Amino acid sequence: MIRIKILICFLTAMFFLLIVGLFNLEIIHGRNFKGIGDKNCIRLLSQRGSRGRIIDRNGLVIAGNKISYDLMFVPQEYASQDELIFSVSRILGKDDKGFSAALKKTYPVSSMPVSLARNLKLKEAIALGQLKADFPYITIQDNPVRAYPNSNLACHILGYLGEIDRWRLTKLEDYGYKTKDIVGFGGVEEKYDYYLRDEEGGISFQVDHRGRLVRTLGFKPPVDGKDIQLTLDIRIQKIAESALGERKGAVIIMNPYTGEVVALASSPRFNPEAFVDKDNVMVSRLFKDPASPLVNRAISGLYPAGSVFKLVVATAALENKKINQHTSLLCQGSLMVGRQDFKCWDTHGQQNIISAIAHSCNVFFYRLGLLVGAQAIHDYALKLGFSHLTGFDLPYEKQGFIPSPLLKKINTLKKWFDGDTANLSIGQGEVLVTPLQVARMMAIFANGGYLVTPYITKSIAGKDLSRYRKKPEKINLRPETISIIREGLRGTVNNQGGTGHVLSAAGVTVAGKTGTAQSPPRQSHAWFSGFFPFKEPKFVICVLLEHGGPGYNSCLIAKKIIEEMLAEGLI
Amino acid sequence: MRNSTLIIFLIAILICALSVISIFSSTYQRESEAWQNIYQRQLLWIFLGAALFFFLSNINYRRFWDWTYFLYIISLFFLLLVFLLGAVRLGAQRWLRIGWFNFQPSEFAKLCMVIFLARYFSSKDTVSVSLSPEKLGIFRALILPLFFVAIPVGLIIEQPDLGTGLIILFLFISVIYLANIKLRHVLSFVTLILLIMPFAWHFLRDYQKDRLMVFLNPNIDPLGAGYTVIQSKIAIGSGGFFGKGWLSGTQSQLRFLPEAHTDFIFATFSEEWGLLGGIVLLLLYYLLIRQGFLIAQRTRDHFGRLLALGISLMLSMQVIINIAMNMGFAPIVGITLPLMSYGGSSVFVTFIALGILANIDKTRSVF
Repeated sequence: MIRIKILICFLTAMFFLLIVGLFNLEIIHGRNFKGIGDKNCIRLLSQRGSRGRIIDRNGLVIAGNKISYDLMFVPQEYASQDELIFSVSRILGKDDKGFSAALKKTYPVSSMPVSLARNLKLKEAIALGQLKADFPYITIQDNPVRAYPNSNLACHILGYLGEIDRWRLTKLEDYGYKTKDIVGFGGVEEKYDYYLRDEEGGISFQVDHRGRLVRTLGFKPPVDGKDIQLTLDIRIQKIAESALGERKGAVIIMNPYTGEVVALASSPRFNPEAFVDKDNVMVSRLFKDPASPLVNRAISGLYPAGSVFKLVVATAALENKKINQHTSLLCQGSLMVGRQDFKCWDTHGQQNIISAIAHSCNVFFYRLGLLVGAQAIHDYALKLGFSHLTGFDLPYEKQGFIPSPLLKKINTLKKWFDGDTANLSIGQGEVLVTPLQVARMMAIFANGGYLVTPYITKSIAGKDLSRYRKKPEKINLRPETISIIREGLRGTVNNQGGTGHVLSAAGVTVAGKTGTAQSPPRQSHAWFSGFFPFKEPKFVICVLLEHGGPGYNSCLIAKKIIEEMLAEGLI
Repeated sequence: MRNSTLIIFLIAILICALSVISIFSSTYQRESEAWQNIYQRQLLWIFLGAALFFFLSNINYRRFWDWTYFLYIISLFFLLLVFLLGAVRLGAQRWLRIGWFNFQPSEFAKLCMVIFLARYFSSKDTVSVSLSPEKLGIFRALILPLFFVAIPVGLIIEQPDLGTGLIILFLFISVIYLANIKLRHVLSFVTLILLIMPFAWHFLRDYQKDRLMVFLNPNIDPLGAGYTVIQSKIAIGSGGFFGKGWLSGTQSQLRFLPEAHTDFIFATFSEEWGLLGGIVLLLLYYLLIRQGFLIAQRTRDHFGRLLALGISLMLSMQVIINIAMNMGFAPIVGITLPLMSYGGSSVFVTFIALGILANIDKTRSVF
């Protein structure tokens, strides 16, 4: 009898353990298992909308969408897999090893259609569609993908598309981004990705253990992304890009009153198609290219300002009343500052501020700079928009650097010498600016004293953005200062000996300033920044050629651009 | 009708009711009519089973004493017949087609073994006319009965039906323990089994090895041998406290769970009725088995007592092993959940066993 009791106790304990086990499975881990259970039987077949288009100010498409065809296939059907691969590879003229590998990778997912080949041409899609008779479980799915009707035009403004990276994902997860999402990198595509991106729609349905549809649970139509209109004018952009050609550099053409950018070119360029097509060879070449074609030099390129910076010194001197229109200083070809001889590129003799700007006389500005003082130059440089971001609406803008005695002390613990002031006066030394900052400074002289915030986005989904924009800011320069400097800028082009005299034949009255920024041991950077027409400026232009030689070279490009704009009646 | 007969019958019918609604739920989404009507067949089995129950509860169980060797031979005959004519289903040759009924002889053999063991250990010493197992030597206490049991067990394992074979082996151990043979014989036998186990590994079929491996870690082969355990655990786990409700279990109805109406019916039931339903079902089984043990304790007749104990043990082992394997606590072996799983043989044998149990309690007072 004792043995029976022991056995009964044992069995009772077993029953109790079973209840404990049930409790553990259903209550403690229940939520977890419920999730897995739902995942088991609920499938989502996503349907993509099209990404918002990017159009120019006249409504011409810069980045649109085209239909791409994907070959999808339901991997649970294995019967004639090898034949399928053989047929597909014959039609596409590709090696069948790639397909087998792609197929193997997707095997355990089962039941969901997987893509065998992407981005097919219409012709290939039709040919593959014929296979449906033999292989009923394949489908040709059409997907909208990015298309660039103008090829690589304005590529730096657009940016490119790619699969989201880990860094962006952690940042954007809360906004509904998921792994494998296609997002913009650089340019408008990145900046306004949230508006451009389509809202994924799809069908959710219940499937049985073999992935066969049991019933549809819900349908959400995809929502297309919002179109973005830029202030860019494709025609001017084309002119600017072709004028720049293959030379490294940047061109910016901007409205001086509002700051709206009508053309912004950077070279070398890249073709954003390469990222859509997943052309890996091409993409890795772009990333490895020492000329860094992916960098937008107009906003992310930092260069010494060179003589263009003399306008800052002139403004500081005139505003501080160190000189007036008639003050003249002597240029003998060089100037001893401390123990160092600072050279001019010519011997200009006696000249006033106007002719010194026109001739870009170094000695005049060494003397002027020493007169004004380094701190004042630094302060006015900041006032004219250097050394901080312009607030332009494309990502990865650089802010540049303007040295000052204080900053030198802080950064290097070294004393500021007069030689540093002399260097600063002609925009050399540690001065670093972006072409956009130079264009923005030039706009101040074109529009009569307003610091504008450059922008390139006109409207999103038809909604004008001007309400949200920063108004041009009056920076309280005396009218005389501006008119004297404008005279100088006009002289650059108009005077016989002006550094930009070549532009006098451009067909409109141009005013501007050249710059030849030394960057030993390589060739100097060539700057030209100006505005036209002189009386009522419509456009500010800034041309930079990276290691492009003397400023004259940039003048030639500016001339070409202005002539062609004139020829097309755009001015 | 006696009190215990009524109790046993009521509990059994309650469990059968749960069985029918679970089978209905697990198959009503199937495509074919034949599948959808499977619950009707189960109803028929239950009806016939209930008839067998009443029939057997009125047959004096002592007659089984006389029929023991006949039954033993019959069951051996059927097991051998399976090898010759058996229908192969699910990779095993366990069924005999008799008309439209698929008969599973191993279920029948299981019950016969219980009767055989009960008789063997209740035989009286011819000299002293007293119960003798305590005094039996190792040959008569262990080796001889083991020989008789090993023949059908070997045949059953060879089908292969490892689950039923193991149940009979466990029954043997439990019965020799309960028959009061010397403890050192029981222990030495258990030790021997444990020592043989590593060698037995080599005699297992590949799928049985796989099942044992996935029992240790279901994730080594999630789409193969581990699939069933994982799906079964998901089904039970996703039930929660109240369950998903009748006809709303996705795991079983959408056929993620294989064998949802037979071996894994507990998972189907738990998914839809949750912890609450699971506890109710376990309680019903516990009460049923408790009845068996109470009857055994009330019975003075040694054969009757051992028979009642054997039947209760057989039921409890099946319940415990089946539910444990549903929850992933035991390796997957083809053991049905008595009265719940779909299948005529299982229902019949269970009802017959319960009928014998009822009769033991009824006849007890006659002595």
